[in-house]
Amino acid sequence: MNMKLAGGAALGLATLLVLAGCGSGGSGGGGNDQASGGGQVTLKMVAADYGDGPGKPNSGETFWKGVVDEFQAANPNIKVDVTVINWNDIDKQVATMVQNGQVPDILQTGDYSGFVGDGLLYKVDEVLSPNVSGDMLQKFAEFGKVDGTAYGIPFVSSARALFYNKDLFSKAGIAEPPKTWDELKAAAEKLKAAGVTQPFGLPLGQEEAQAESFLWMLGNGGAYKDASGKWAINSPQNVETFTYLKGLVDAGLTTPNPGTKDRKTVWEDFGAGKVGMVNGGPMSIPIFDAAGMKNYGIVPIPGKSGPLDTTLGVMDWIMAFNKNGHAAEIKKFFDFFYTGSAAQKISDLYKLLPVTNGGLQKLAGDEKLKPFLDALPNASFYPFQDHQWPAVSAAIKQTIGGAVADDPAKVLGDLQKTAEAAG
Amino acid sequence: MRRLRALEPLAWVGPAVVLIALVVLWPVIEMIRSSFLKISRFGIVQGANGTANYEKLFGEKDFADIMVRSVIWVVAVVVLTVLISLALAQLFNQRFPLRKVARWALIAPWAASVLMTAIIFKWMLDPEVGVINQIRVKLGLIDAMGGAAADQLGDAGSAMPWLVFVAIFVSVPFTTYALLAGLATIPGDVYEAAKMDGAGRLRTYWSITLPLLRPALTVAALINIMNVFNNFPIIWAMTHGQPGYSTATSTIFMFILKGSDIGESAAMSVVNFAMVIVLTLIFLRVSRWNKEVA
Repeated sequence: MNMKLAGGAALGLATLLVLAGCGSGGSGGGGNDQASGGGQVTLKMVAADYGDGPGKPNSGETFWKGVVDEFQAANPNIKVDVTVINWNDIDKQVATMVQNGQVPDILQTGDYSGFVGDGLLYKVDEVLSPNVSGDMLQKFAEFGKVDGTAYGIPFVSSARALFYNKDLFSKAGIAEPPKTWDELKAAAEKLKAAGVTQPFGLPLGQEEAQAESFLWMLGNGGAYKDASGKWAINSPQNVETFTYLKGLVDAGLTTPNPGTKDRKTVWEDFGAGKVGMVNGGPMSIPIFDAAGMKNYGIVPIPGKSGPLDTTLGVMDWIMAFNKNGHAAEIKKFFDFFYTGSAAQKISDLYKLLPVTNGGLQKLAGDEKLKPFLDALPNASFYPFQDHQWPAVSAAIKQTIGGAVADDPAKVLGDLQKTAEAAG
Repeated sequence: MRRLRALEPLAWVGPAVVLIALVVLWPVIEMIRSSFLKISRFGIVQGANGTANYEKLFGEKDFADIMVRSVIWVVAVVVLTVLISLALAQLFNQRFPLRKVARWALIAPWAASVLMTAIIFKWMLDPEVGVINQIRVKLGLIDAMGGAAADQLGDAGSAMPWLVFVAIFVSVPFTTYALLAGLATIPGDVYEAAKMDGAGRLRTYWSITLPLLRPALTVAALINIMNVFNNFPIIWAMTHGQPGYSTATSTIFMFILKGSDIGESAAMSVVNFAMVIVLTLIFLRVSRWNKEVA
C-alpha cells in the first residue's frame, strides 16, 4: 500500500517536473554582457515570433539569424543578440525584463506606447535615418507619435477583408458576395437554409474581440473614439451596429455565443468548410491553406450601405530603449533592416504587409494580397496612442460579446464608463 | 557555554524559518504592499495610491457576482469531490481482481497536466467537431452540430457544470488516495469489536470509519479548498471566464485585471488571500465542532 502511494507520488512529481521544464523554456535571454572589448558592442534584441515556433522552418530564430548574420558581416564591430519570444508570452516577459532592469536595446512587438510614459525609449529621429523614416506610410508613422514626438517605428502591418467560401455560396445559390449589411443578412439566410451551421463567423471572444468589433463599427461610420478624440464606444452608430449584429446572432446566422469564441477557432472552422463568411487578413491565409481550404474569395468588408473604403490596420512596432545608450549602433541596424532585403523577406515569409511605400510597390503583383494592399494606405487604427487603450482593450475583449447577447446599449455604455474612468 | 546550548535548536530550526520567511512571508508582505501602490502596466511603481486600488476593485460591477461565484465554485467542487472520493476510497480498499490496475488508472487524471485535461475537455465539447456533441447528436439529444445547443461552453448556465465536473475529475484522484491512506490506518480490531457488538454496515461506517477517517478527511478537504479556490487553468483554458465575466472566479478576475491595472490586481490577490484564510478557518471550525459531537 505504502509502496504504491510512493509510486503514485513519484509519478506525479515526475509529471510536475517535466511540466515545470516546459514552462521555463522560453524565459532565458537575460545575459548581462555588454561590450566585449575592442570597441565591440552587443545589441540585445527581443522579437516576437511570427512563425510557427522554435524548430519550424519559418521560426523567428531562423529569420533573425539570417538578418543578423548579414548585418554582422557588414558591421563587424556590432553583435546583435536576438531573443525570440512567442506572442502569448512576450508582453509579460518584456515587462519582467523592464521590472528587473534588464532592458533590451531593441524590442519588436505589438505595442510601444506603454514604455513612453515611463521614459524608456529613444525618439525615432535618434535611431532612424531621415530617408528611411521619410519612406514610411504617413498614416502609419503618425501613430508612432505620442504628444507629437515619434517613439514607435512601424515594423509590419496587416489589414482585414471579407473571406467567403465559394463552394458554399454556389451551393446556397448566392451569385455575388455581399456589399451591404442587408445583402450580408440575405446571404447568411440562404447559407443557413442550405445547411451551413455558421453562415457568418463572428469571433467576439477573448482573443481579438476588439478587432472584429472595430470592423463592424467602421461599417456604420463608428469607431472607439470620435473625431475630437473622446471615447465614443456607445455612440448611436455603434449601438445601431451591435443591434444589427444581435439580430444576426438571434436568428442563428452566426457562430453561436460569439462572446466566447476566439478568432483562431472560427478561422479553423472556416478552413474546415463550416463557415460561409468571415473577416480575416493575410495572416489567415496560411491557416486556411493548412486546413485544405482553397476555393475562397476575398472582397472588401460590407458596411451598412456599401463596402468599406477603409479597413482595420494593425501594425507591429520596433523600438529602441535608451537605458544602455547604444543609439548609433541601433541606427545602423534599423537602417540596414529597412533599406536591405530583410523587410521584404518578412512580408514574403509571413504574409505580413509592408509599412513603407517602397515595400508596397514591391508587392503590387500579388493577387491574393491586392484587396489588403489597396485598403492599407487608408486604414483606420485602434486608438492605441492613448495610454489607457490597453486597459480599455482588455475590458472590450472580456465583455463586448455581451452586446450581441444582452442589451447592446447597456453593454457598450458600461464599456464607455470603463474607458472614461480609465482616463 | 550554557548560552550556546540554548541557541542550539535555532541552528536546526533556523534554515526552515528563513526558507518560510523568504518564500511565504516576504511575497505576502510584498503583495499587500503592492495593493496600496500605483503601478504602471509594465510594473513600474508610480507612487503610493492609498486605498484607491481597493475602492476601484470594490466598485467593479462584476465584483460581487465573482466573489459569490467563487464561494459556490469551491463549495460545489470540494463537497462533490469528497463525497465521490469517500465512495471510491471504500471501493478501492476492497480486494477485487485487477485492483492494482484500477488504482493505477485512477492516478491518470492526477498525473496529466490540469491544463492539458482542460484543453482536451474543451475540444471534446467543441460545437462543430467535439466528440461529446457527436454522441449527443447520435443519441438524439440535440438536432445538429454547430448550433447554440451544441455550444455548452458558450453559455454560463451550461458551462459552469462542465467546469465543476472537470475540477472534480482532476481533484478526485488525490483526495481518494489521501482517504485510502486514512482507511489503511484504521486497525482491524475496531471493526471486529463493532461486529461483536452487532453493529450493521451503515452503523459501522458512520460511527467507526468516518470518525477515524477524520484526520485524513480534514487534510484532504483543506488542501482541496485551497487548490480549488486558487484554480486557474481549468476555467482559463475552457472559457476565459466568458461570456463576460459570468464564469470567472476571483483568481481569473485577478489575472484579467493584471493586464490593465497591476495595483488593482494586487488588491484582488489580497482579497483572495483573505478569502482562503476565512474559508479555511470556517472549515476548521466546523470540523472541530464535529469532534465534540463524536
